[in-house]
Formats: sequence, C-alpha cells, structure tokens
Amino acid sequence: MADELELLRHANPVPVDGPHFGEGPLDHRAERHLDRLLRERPTASASTASSTSEPALTASTTSAPSPPRRRTRSAWGLAATAVVAALVSALLFTDQTTAPAVAAPRPLLVRADSTPVPLSTLAERARAAAAGGTPKLRKGTHVQSWSLGMSDDEPPITLPEERVVRWHADDSHTEIVVATDPRHPDRPVLGGEGKLVEDGHVLSRQTYPPSWSDAPPQSPPPTDVAGLRAYLQEAAYSRTALNTGELLDTVATLLDTWTLGARESATLARLLAGTEGLRPLGQVTDRLGRRGQAYVYEGSGSRRMLIMDLVTGAVLGLETTFRTAEPEYGVKAGDVMSYRAWMR
Amino acid sequence: MSNDEIFAAAYREHYWAVSRYVARRLDGRTSEVEEVVAEVFTVAWRRRADLPTAPLPWLYGVARNCLANAVRGYGRRRRLVDRLGHDESAHGRHIVDSPDTEAPGAWVHEALNRLSPADQEVLRLTAWEELAVEEVAVALGCGRRAAAMRLHRARRRLRAEIDRMCPPTVSKERSHG
Repeated sequence: MADELELLRHANPVPVDGPHFGEGPLDHRAERHLDRLLRERPTASASTASSTSEPALTASTTSAPSPPRRRTRSAWGLAATAVVAALVSALLFTDQTTAPAVAAPRPLLVRADSTPVPLSTLAERARAAAAGGTPKLRKGTHVQSWSLGMSDDEPPITLPEERVVRWHADDSHTEIVVATDPRHPDRPVLGGEGKLVEDGHVLSRQTYPPSWSDAPPQSPPPTDVAGLRAYLQEAAYSRTALNTGELLDTVATLLDTWTLGARESATLARLLAGTEGLRPLGQVTDRLGRRGQAYVYEGSGSRRMLIMDLVTGAVLGLETTFRTAEPEYGVKAGDVMSYRAWMR
Repeated sequence: MSNDEIFAAAYREHYWAVSRYVARRLDGRTSEVEEVVAEVFTVAWRRRADLPTAPLPWLYGVARNCLANAVRGYGRRRRLVDRLGHDESAHGRHIVDSPDTEAPGAWVHEALNRLSPADQEVLRLTAWEELAVEEVAVALGCGRRAAAMRLHRARRRLRAEIDRMCPPTVSKERSHG
C-alpha cells in the first residue's frame, strides 16, 4: 500500500491542475481587490468614517489574527507623538512663516447670502452644459484630500495629500501621491507616516502593470441614470440598492478612478437629483477656491456635504464631518473627518 | 522595491495558491473562498512590512488564522462549522477514483478527519500545499524541529487510522481483485 502522504496527495480536493483556482492571471475581482489595497492609505484604516465603500477591508478588520485596528491606532499614536515633537521643535526653532501646515481643515461655510439651488435645477444645467460633449471622460484622477487619522490616546491628525493617477496606452497606470496642503503653500506638512515633510514631498510613486478589469469602478461609467445606479451598486460590492450615504461614498470611489466628462457628470447630477435626503444648502467656496453649490446628507454618525459646480453640475468635492463627538478619539462634533476635492 | 511593490508581486504570484489553500479547507465553494482570500490579503497588506522573502508559507499562516477566525466569527459560525466539520459533501466530493489505481479518495479524507485539527493541518500543508518542513514551520509559526516532530507524529497517526479503516490485507485483495 502507498505511503500515507502519497495517499493524501492523491486525495487533494483542489489540485493545481484542477478545474478551479488553477494558476493564471488574476481575475477582475482579484485585480480590483489588489487595486483597492494598494490605494488604501493609513488614514483609511484609522478613520471611523463610514466604510461602506470598502467592505472587504472592514470585514477583515474584525477577523485579522492580530487586531489590525489596534495596530493601526498604536501606529498612529506613535505618529502623533512624532508630530507633537516635530511641531514643538518647528515652533521653537523656526519663525512663524515656516510653521508647518498641520492644522485640520475647518468645515466649509455656506455663504449666508446665497440661495440654495435645487439639485433638479443643477441637473438641468448639467444636461445643457453636456450638449457640447466636452470635456470628455478620462480614466485616472487628480484629487486633493485631507483625511483624519485617529488614535486612542493622542490627538487626531490630518494628512493632506494630492494624488494623481494617469493611465497609459498599454493599460498600465501610474499613481503619484505627494504631501501638500494648497491652503499653505511651501510649508512643511504631515506625510503618510505622520512625520513632517516638505511641501510637495513624494509619498509614493508607483506604476502598476497593465490591467484590463472590466468591472466597476474600472469599467467606464454608463451615461444613463439606471445604468449608473447599477454600476455604483456593483462598485460598492452591494447586493442591495445603496442608501444615500453609501451612494455618496461610492461616488467618491468613482471619482477616485475616473475624471468624468460632461455627459457622465450630467448623468451623475440626474442620479443625485433623484436621491433622497440630499438637501441644498447654498453656495460654498471649496478649499481649492472654487465656488460650488453644497448639498448635505445627514447620516447617522456623519454628515456628508457634496459640492457641485454651479454651471456644469460636476462634483467638485465631498466633505464628511462628525455629527457627534467621539471623545475617545479626541474628535468634536463638526470636525472634518475627510475632504476630497477632485480636479481635472 | 518598496513594501507595496513587494506585496503586489506576492499577491499576483500567490493569489491562486492561497485560493486553493482556502478552497481545500472550505469545500471549494467559490463565494466563500473569495471572501476569505480577500481577508487573507487584506491582513497581509496591513502586515506587509513583515512579508518574508519567500512569502507563500507565511501567507498560508495568515490564511489559517483567517479561516479560524471565520469559523469563530459571529454570524457565519454555524455555516462554516457545518461545512468544515459535518458536511458530508466536504469530504471527497471532488475526488474521482481512477479505475486503474487504488486512489482511495473519500476514505483517506475520513481517516484524516479522525485526527486532531493540528495533525490534519500539518499533513495537509505537506501533502496538498507540498511544503517542506521549514516552510511548514513558517506556516504554523513554530520552529523547524517542532514542525518535523508534529509531522512525524501526525503521519504515524494517519497511518494508524488508514490501517484501521482499510487493513493492508484488504487493500492487497482490492488491488488484485
């Protein structure tokens, strides 16, 4: 009779040359997951922001062998300590003009004299603006973000980053992330590890091999409302229709992948016009100095404010603020959890 | 290469091997497998600074913990425990006995199943994942000598179970009959 290990080898239920899970290129789900992981920044894991757009990450947080959230918080604790030390030396040994830009952004203020514009009106403007067909849809993104990193025992810190993703003719793409805060040009800012770095410091520069994923959000967004709704639902890995909070988070995922053209922006505006719970507030000037209309959705723990271009209806930014204080993380109600501003 | 690049390379190289590892322990049901494998690589991503030069045994170790957590996990507990321990179809469902060999298929699974989980794992890692003792040690998070000892004992116990279920004389008759 054969050796017991040999018998066991023959009884392998999933052999390498079997019908499933054989060697080969990654399928689109695996590609998409890898892409999401590589795009995950430390703040994403430290944030308590609604994580509906990253279900896989959330699920794993609870099932990791060594609790990753704990690790993350510890890391942030260290990072925050380093920041405080760096900040103290910066304040002691430099003059005010080179003080680091580490302050968290304040929530955007709605202009008191502005009139709220209903989303349906803005959607109509977007439709008119899309008549010319320009600008065109482009894969890749250009986004400035401020994200809060929290710790159990240290004050929260905010990381300002600018991220550019460019796709190449061979379907490879390059992502560059730099630490910068456009509100405070030329001042040192917090880098990805929570350390102070020079303004414009490159946090990462990576080129990814060709990827031909055809699943949302890697596939081009449709230009009909129903199609876009289904697309966003798939991009959010959801089997059920998205609620408004989830929808807004997934719109952010879409805009982190694509730079929408006029037609896609008009479709998105129509979709948002038909979304419950988005309330027009009035005009704001975003952190890049752009004027836009603000639409607010009050979620259970957070408040999301969508900023849309007054004329074209394009989404300019999304601000998420805490609705309630989280004393254990040193967060007050109204503090900015994250802010993303998309550019062309 | 940066940690991120090393991770991406390991992901691409070992995604399917990790999927097979998980499938072998979850009856190969695609939806469950994908979910657990996604967790494995998410955990690995968070620990990418620890990724060793030969990452596969280490990834198996992460996968083992993820599977254990999945089994313990609230909500999925019953489903997965059923699937891991009691579902008849989990054992030998994919095994097709070749007519001209004495491939034992299901009854080897049954013999394996009578061993302790620790014995089963060291045997599976050796026979199915084809790891050497040093690699088994990495996957199990123990020393090489401990791994070798565990394998030795587990083999002996598997042999005993096989002999009990299918005594050598019977086997001989089968092979000649």
